[in-house]
Amino acid sequence: MSKARYAFPLVVLGFALLILLTIYISLTNGVYDISPWDLIQTMLGMNDNADKVLVLTEFRLPRIIMAALVGTGLAVAGAIIQGVTRNDLADPGILGINAGASTAIALFIFFLRGNLSNLGMFEQFAMPFFGLLGGILAAVLIYLFSYKNGTLPVERLILSGIAVGSGLSAISVYLTLKMNTQDFEMVVTWTAGSIWNANFDYILVMLCGLLLILPVLFISAHMLNIFHLDENSIKSLGVLPDRLRMGFLLGSIALVSLCVAASGGIGFVGLVAPHIARRLVGMSFQRLVPVAALVGTALVMISDFLARTILQPTEIPVGMLISLIGVPYFLYLLYRTYK
Amino acid sequence: MDSVIPVQSKRQRRLTWLLLLSPILIVAVMLASLMIGVQQISLQTVFDALFHFDKGNLSHTIVLSRLPRALGALLIGASLALSGALMQGVTRNYLASPSITGVLDGSALLVTIGYIFFSGLSSWGLILFSLIGSALGTAIVFGMASLIPNGFSPARLGIIGLIIGTFFSSLSSIIATYFQASQDISFWFNARLDQISLEFLGPTLPFFVLGVVLAFSVAGSVTILALGEEVSISLGQKTIVVKGLAMLSVIVLTGLSVALAGKISFIGLIIPHIVRYLIGVDYRHIVPCSAIFGGIFLAFCDILARLVNFPFETPIGVLTSLFGVPFFLYLVYTRGGKRHV
Repeated sequence: MSKARYAFPLVVLGFALLILLTIYISLTNGVYDISPWDLIQTMLGMNDNADKVLVLTEFRLPRIIMAALVGTGLAVAGAIIQGVTRNDLADPGILGINAGASTAIALFIFFLRGNLSNLGMFEQFAMPFFGLLGGILAAVLIYLFSYKNGTLPVERLILSGIAVGSGLSAISVYLTLKMNTQDFEMVVTWTAGSIWNANFDYILVMLCGLLLILPVLFISAHMLNIFHLDENSIKSLGVLPDRLRMGFLLGSIALVSLCVAASGGIGFVGLVAPHIARRLVGMSFQRLVPVAALVGTALVMISDFLARTILQPTEIPVGMLISLIGVPYFLYLLYRTYK
Repeated sequence: MDSVIPVQSKRQRRLTWLLLLSPILIVAVMLASLMIGVQQISLQTVFDALFHFDKGNLSHTIVLSRLPRALGALLIGASLALSGALMQGVTRNYLASPSITGVLDGSALLVTIGYIFFSGLSSWGLILFSLIGSALGTAIVFGMASLIPNGFSPARLGIIGLIIGTFFSSLSSIIATYFQASQDISFWFNARLDQISLEFLGPTLPFFVLGVVLAFSVAGSVTILALGEEVSISLGQKTIVVKGLAMLSVIVLTGLSVALAGKISFIGLIIPHIVRYLIGVDYRHIVPCSAIFGGIFLAFCDILARLVNFPFETPIGVLTSLFGVPFFLYLVYTRGGKRHV
């Protein structure tokens, strides 16, 4: 396995710079270009040009922040899931959370949205909330199916994930085909993953969630190193591996559900980011988890910028863009890991 | 040895029974498929329509319009079940099937491309695109699986198939979204059995025959291959040739079924398992029985699809998933990560 190649502070600094650069480029470029001077003025609140203020603070800034939060959440969850399942190729998608959330969203749009007209604030949160609920339900379902004789075999987890995922997508297909075109597009965009509902209200909710979960995970990240050992050695250390595993899994399910609720099914971040992090700073989870968070942030931010600008003015769902990069990377990984 | 012989003869007897019963079942499911629909038609009228067709009679016309659908269901079900049986035998992986390995998505991607960039494609063209797609999917998924050690184990092949399949389908949706045809395309892939026409069924027949002939010709060798690579080689088999021919058959059969009716999952997973349970591990028997029962099963699901939400049609893929997902979960639950077929 790969060892640390670069010093931890250097990597963190490098990514911090990359992220700052991305933020700058994303703020200034787009359908509507904004000069650096305008940017500074607007950020300091000294710009009277309402258009520029609107574009920056209402459209671009929330999106960038949301991309950062989603990237962090998915990458950390991915690193944990890979550690816990001892499978470098595991992805939060295998826990069925994406599929569950998408189906719940489809259900919501199909049955409820027409009936809920003047809910104001609530409507904005209803959809992510349903996504969250669906994600958790699917994860629990998969967990139950793969739990056998008090253990949680990794293969069973992966395969039950695929099975439950295909069942859920059958439900989505059934619903979406009965929808009108507008609702259909909404579900498709959402499922494909896009940071469409970025606004400060939702960012606040997301931030609270992340602040509750992330610190705990960061602090306990060193416990994940135990999973480099085999099951019996863990037990001989006096640790109950299943209980530990369950705790970590629950944490990552919550993280992923939050992200999925915010951005739909963005895949591969949880797979790719921990890998890049592992190659940069090695296997030790105390360093791996924070670096993965940075990589994930950079990845989603850059991809969202590209998704927004490549086919201007048409926007590609960022999830699709990431999977275009993620799949070849995954294949390369697969080849390298097992060769 | 004592216990082996009775089991063998029991399976032999079952096989005989199944083969004797199958024509009756096929005829029954065909007739039911012609009778049931928004307009219910009596058995008498169906017979009249088939043997004394009267152009002026509306019921007769309806029966005739249902015929390609019923035939199509049989053909597609047979193709998918055969593909699944061969895949499972060759990879020795109990989960291998066109949907789980992502081959269906490969076909669907190419059909999407054909549908959008070459509108007005002839049936031959569409089939060609679909075949290229399934070849592409098969090559990538099985190529990847053979590059990594133990790549054909259920979990690894499952992951590779899932990822590649997702990749293909997200490419299709990017294309479809960009050209603003996503719901059209989605309809195309999920609810198409009712649109099969005789003109479209015709061109697929030669491919079907090719696929079936290939499947039958390698069936015996696949039985040995399923015992393990080493056994197969030590018995003097050219495993590459056997695998190649089996995969060619899979490509042709999967490709034609996507061209005809879009993505229908789980037939290729369920049917070979049931058949294997009933008649044992000899692929010379599994291949014909899978074809027959795959066809019957899909035709049966197609009838259900008309009844579940009467008078509306339910997408056929939803129906097959209704049976397939619990079955899949059951398989995973009882067999886990082991590789035995």
